[in-house]
Amino acid sequence: MELNWTTFVLEIINFLALLWLLKRFLYRPVLQILAARQAGIEQQLASARDSEARATAMQQQFASRLADWEQEKAAERRRFDAELATEKERQLAKLGKELAAERERSAAQDANRLATQRRQLAGEASVQARQFASALLGRLAGPELEGRLVQLFIAELDALPEEQLAEVRAGLDGQGQGVVSTAFELPAAQRQQVSAAVASRLAPQLALEFRVDPALLSGARLSLGAWRLDFSLAGELAFFPEAASRGQRQQP
Amino acid sequence: MDAASVVFTIGGMQITSTVVTTWGLMLLFALGCRLATHRLSVDQPGLLQTALEGSVLSIKAAIDGVLPGRDDMLLPFIGTLWLFVAAANLTGLVPGLHSPTADLSTTAALAFIVFLSVHWFGIRSAGPKAYLGHYLTPSPVLLPFHLLGELSRTLALAVRLFGNIMSLEMAALLVLLVAGLLVPVPVLMLHIIEALVQAYIFGTLALIYIAGGMQSREAADSRQTQPTSDKKGSAP
Repeated sequence: MELNWTTFVLEIINFLALLWLLKRFLYRPVLQILAARQAGIEQQLASARDSEARATAMQQQFASRLADWEQEKAAERRRFDAELATEKERQLAKLGKELAAERERSAAQDANRLATQRRQLAGEASVQARQFASALLGRLAGPELEGRLVQLFIAELDALPEEQLAEVRAGLDGQGQGVVSTAFELPAAQRQQVSAAVASRLAPQLALEFRVDPALLSGARLSLGAWRLDFSLAGELAFFPEAASRGQRQQP
Repeated sequence: MDAASVVFTIGGMQITSTVVTTWGLMLLFALGCRLATHRLSVDQPGLLQTALEGSVLSIKAAIDGVLPGRDDMLLPFIGTLWLFVAAANLTGLVPGLHSPTADLSTTAALAFIVFLSVHWFGIRSAGPKAYLGHYLTPSPVLLPFHLLGELSRTLALAVRLFGNIMSLEMAALLVLLVAGLLVPVPVLMLHIIEALVQAYIFGTLALIYIAGGMQSREAADSRQTQPTSDKKGSAP
């Protein structure tokens, strides 16, 4: 147990040299690797935190967007329901109008059909009445009836308004020939009465020709050119179709 | 058996086997660390790299437990102390070699380095005035006792390591001479444990001494703030 000062000094130097060597070849590389690994871990943690923050932000954004979508969906549904209700009302109104128009058209068709039926019935009634009247008046026709009808013809000629007689006179222009048709041979006395009535009401110089026309059934008819004064059974029976046609025209 | 036999001389300077063994250890440390840290990987550390990192981190954690936040500054010194003393202690197990720490010159050198490092780190940490001032506290009368304590603990540090390691080698040699070839094996196993324990004790004591020197500033600060707080506390 003795102290060697040379060894003492050299050991101090040796220890300091070893301190430098270990610091250079052991502590520094290992600490650098640990620091690099720690930095990598910190970087990964920061990246993970950043990713988490981004994920959280995206989640919040998605939730917000989802809420917006829900609101938009609800608003769209309300708008769609309102449009549907409006369209439904419009379609119902349109359908109502079409139904009313169809009802009116159907009523008009019914009315037309009814009017047609009425006209047909009226025509048929007129034809039947004419046939009945023709059959009845044909059986009643005769010289006596004709004499009475000639009297009524003269009365009717006397009752014509002066304006109509003036128009007939203007058409004759003071000349011409009239034709008086009867169903039977007219007696001379009645011919003179007729001639006197025509001369007094129409024209004194008018020549009258008396003809027999059995188609008249009974009565007399005066023809002056285009103008006629008919007071015969055939003329009266011809009134039925005219009355029927007038009645049909007057139907709504 | 002469533990510190002169191997050769350089210019009249005697180079003992202790120095040569220490050089051998330095060479092994340098080559081993160079090879071990040649290709360190951040992502895929191997078994050796994991062991190195674990050792360094363990030393850092031990230093941080005594001096929180000062592990980076003290790691090279304390770590080298632990590694060198442990390796030097275990060298005696190799036949034909003896532990450098079985030589009082080596342990005295290490203790002297520790003695200087306490003041070095203390002055670096607290400043020369605050550091040297703590020898005068709590009373200047205690200055001789402080100085005596510094010397005695340094001496104890050197003698403790030397005595333990030298006695271990001596005991193993005596058992080997008396009992035979395989009988000293339990003693050699005890040598391993004792070598590691002594290295740990040496490094830990050095760390505690350094911590005491570095914390002298904090003690001075607390002494300066104590009267102020008392005045505040006694104010009406």
